[in-house]
Amino acid sequence: MDIFNNMLLGFTVVLLPWNLFYCLFGAVIGTLIGVLPGIGPAATIALLLPFTFNVPPVTALIMLAGIYYGSQYGGSTTSILVNIPGESSSVVTCLDGYAMARQGRAGPALAIAAMGSFFAGCVATVIICLLAPTLAELALKFGPAEYFSMMVLGLVGATMLARGSLLKAIAMILLGLVLGLVGTDVNSGTRRFAFGISTLFDGIDFVVVVMGLFGLAEIISSLDHEMKKEIMTTKVSRLIPTRADLKASWKAVIRGTALGSMLGILPGGGALLSSFASYALEKRIASDPSRFGKGAIEGVAGPESANNAGAQTSFIPMLTLGIPTNGVMALMLGAMMIHGIAPGPRVMVEKPDLFWGLIVSMWVGNLMLVILNLPLIGIWVRLLTVPYRFLYPAIVMFCCIGVYSLNNSIIDLAMATGFGIVGYLLLKLDCEPAPLVLGFILGPMMETYFRRALVFSRGDFTVFFTQPISLTMLLTAAILLLMNIAPTVRRKREEVFQE
Amino acid sequence: MQIRIRNGKDFYAGLFFFLIGIVTVLEARGYSVGTARNMGPGYFPILLGYLLLMIGGGTAVRGLWLKGEGIKISSMRPLLMVSSAVLSFALLLKPCGLILALLALVFLACLGSREFRIRYAVVLSFALAAIATALFVYTLGLPLHLFWSE
Repeated sequence: MDIFNNMLLGFTVVLLPWNLFYCLFGAVIGTLIGVLPGIGPAATIALLLPFTFNVPPVTALIMLAGIYYGSQYGGSTTSILVNIPGESSSVVTCLDGYAMARQGRAGPALAIAAMGSFFAGCVATVIICLLAPTLAELALKFGPAEYFSMMVLGLVGATMLARGSLLKAIAMILLGLVLGLVGTDVNSGTRRFAFGISTLFDGIDFVVVVMGLFGLAEIISSLDHEMKKEIMTTKVSRLIPTRADLKASWKAVIRGTALGSMLGILPGGGALLSSFASYALEKRIASDPSRFGKGAIEGVAGPESANNAGAQTSFIPMLTLGIPTNGVMALMLGAMMIHGIAPGPRVMVEKPDLFWGLIVSMWVGNLMLVILNLPLIGIWVRLLTVPYRFLYPAIVMFCCIGVYSLNNSIIDLAMATGFGIVGYLLLKLDCEPAPLVLGFILGPMMETYFRRALVFSRGDFTVFFTQPISLTMLLTAAILLLMNIAPTVRRKREEVFQE
Repeated sequence: MQIRIRNGKDFYAGLFFFLIGIVTVLEARGYSVGTARNMGPGYFPILLGYLLLMIGGGTAVRGLWLKGEGIKISSMRPLLMVSSAVLSFALLLKPCGLILALLALVFLACLGSREFRIRYAVVLSFALAAIATALFVYTLGLPLHLFWSE
């Protein structure tokens, strides 16, 4: 019973009081920022990253993971009660969730969302336990050519989700790759792209990049379309769903969980894609699709389960292969590297306490969220009435202190400002920051594997195509690219984003 | 013939990537390139630089061809105020200490909102400076001077 032992090991790690506390802290912070529109999990993880340096890596990762799945819970609350998506992955929940709230069924909608999320969280945890060791074992056999091709596939997958054109998303990845190369080259000792600035000799700090791109740029851009929103809070009377509600939604929960678990693993997948796909699926197979948008409980149950499942299974490629599938996973990977852990399949073998501790913590965190969130909904709703103009100065302040505390460097602060300005302008040009961050994280690794593969093959470029696994991955990447260019998929994608 | 930019977003984004690509290639040409079998530090960056240059150029040209939206920035205020808030924090921190730097930071950040009112901005500056000092200096023990140091 390998799984049993692994889970047990995970529990012994998570149940340490300190880890439990950080798990709870992460989950609560995640819910908080999930409820509040205008700040996402990526920005929050970036913000809190510098303050995790003095805790053990497993504790830090437990907390940061809590922020991600906690925000999935919180996002649904805002969507249902005030018709504003707290998180981008809760956009579809607005459609039927808010309709239910207007019919006085806010309570059951919230309860189903939470219960569905919890169910999905449990299933996803088991899936990670089953799948992760197999994948890691497979990945241990990978040579440099396979690694390089896998990274190409991961990056291509990430472009699928980016808004705006494919070309721009690819350009953002390339820009990230170049930025990742700044600093001293390990093989030759050459200082690349440092332009004589001594701070750049060690490369650009990851935190500086994400604080600028996700923190400052996002704040500036939300201030741009800041408007007076009158927040109408619906009263939540009774939480318990009726038997009819349960009967209508349990199948949707299972379908959403299955779909989300699958899509989470794929490159480019995660919570966002899963929720959209699940809503589309529920609407398609419903006997009466016209009910959707008018308070169909399946339209809440499916996507909310799917986004939580997807959020969790997207940890699989990150933990076992060292490949981030979306922006948040890139941040988690960055956090691991900052804590001195080399990502890849060896993490599971060399740091089993970290690996299984993190996985079990997700289940524990989900349990905490279900227990905490439903009774506390009143408090979360009241938070929504705090205007953004009081919140964002505090976020800017946290950004600044966080960046400065990295190396006590003024230049880091200046660079973060630069990334903030450039990131904002790029957002205005429809270039999303997530692909850039993915490239930035993978840049140095990709170069290393690229070089190594060609050393082994004596400079023969066909090595990427003659190895079967490498070839499969490159072909998949090519197919993904072609699909994205094909007009039908493009139209579908636009439809999804418009909805 | 006059060149018209039909899709500002594509054109300027493309131009930006094109220029970064050129800078990358020019800078990386100073490092030794090596061969595919024994790559120097310049090999991979030059490859990336050329790709960026081509994709950027393509996007920019497409921006001249295909119709699309231009860039819409309704107000420069948030951009200017938030970035000057961070920069003033950076400049004030060492000579004037944490508290003054935070007051300037929060006040300038508040100026970024269209709903700015001087009263709440002053109150918020002092409140956040107090919270940050209590949290970061006294609880987390970050080594920061509260006021100007000698």
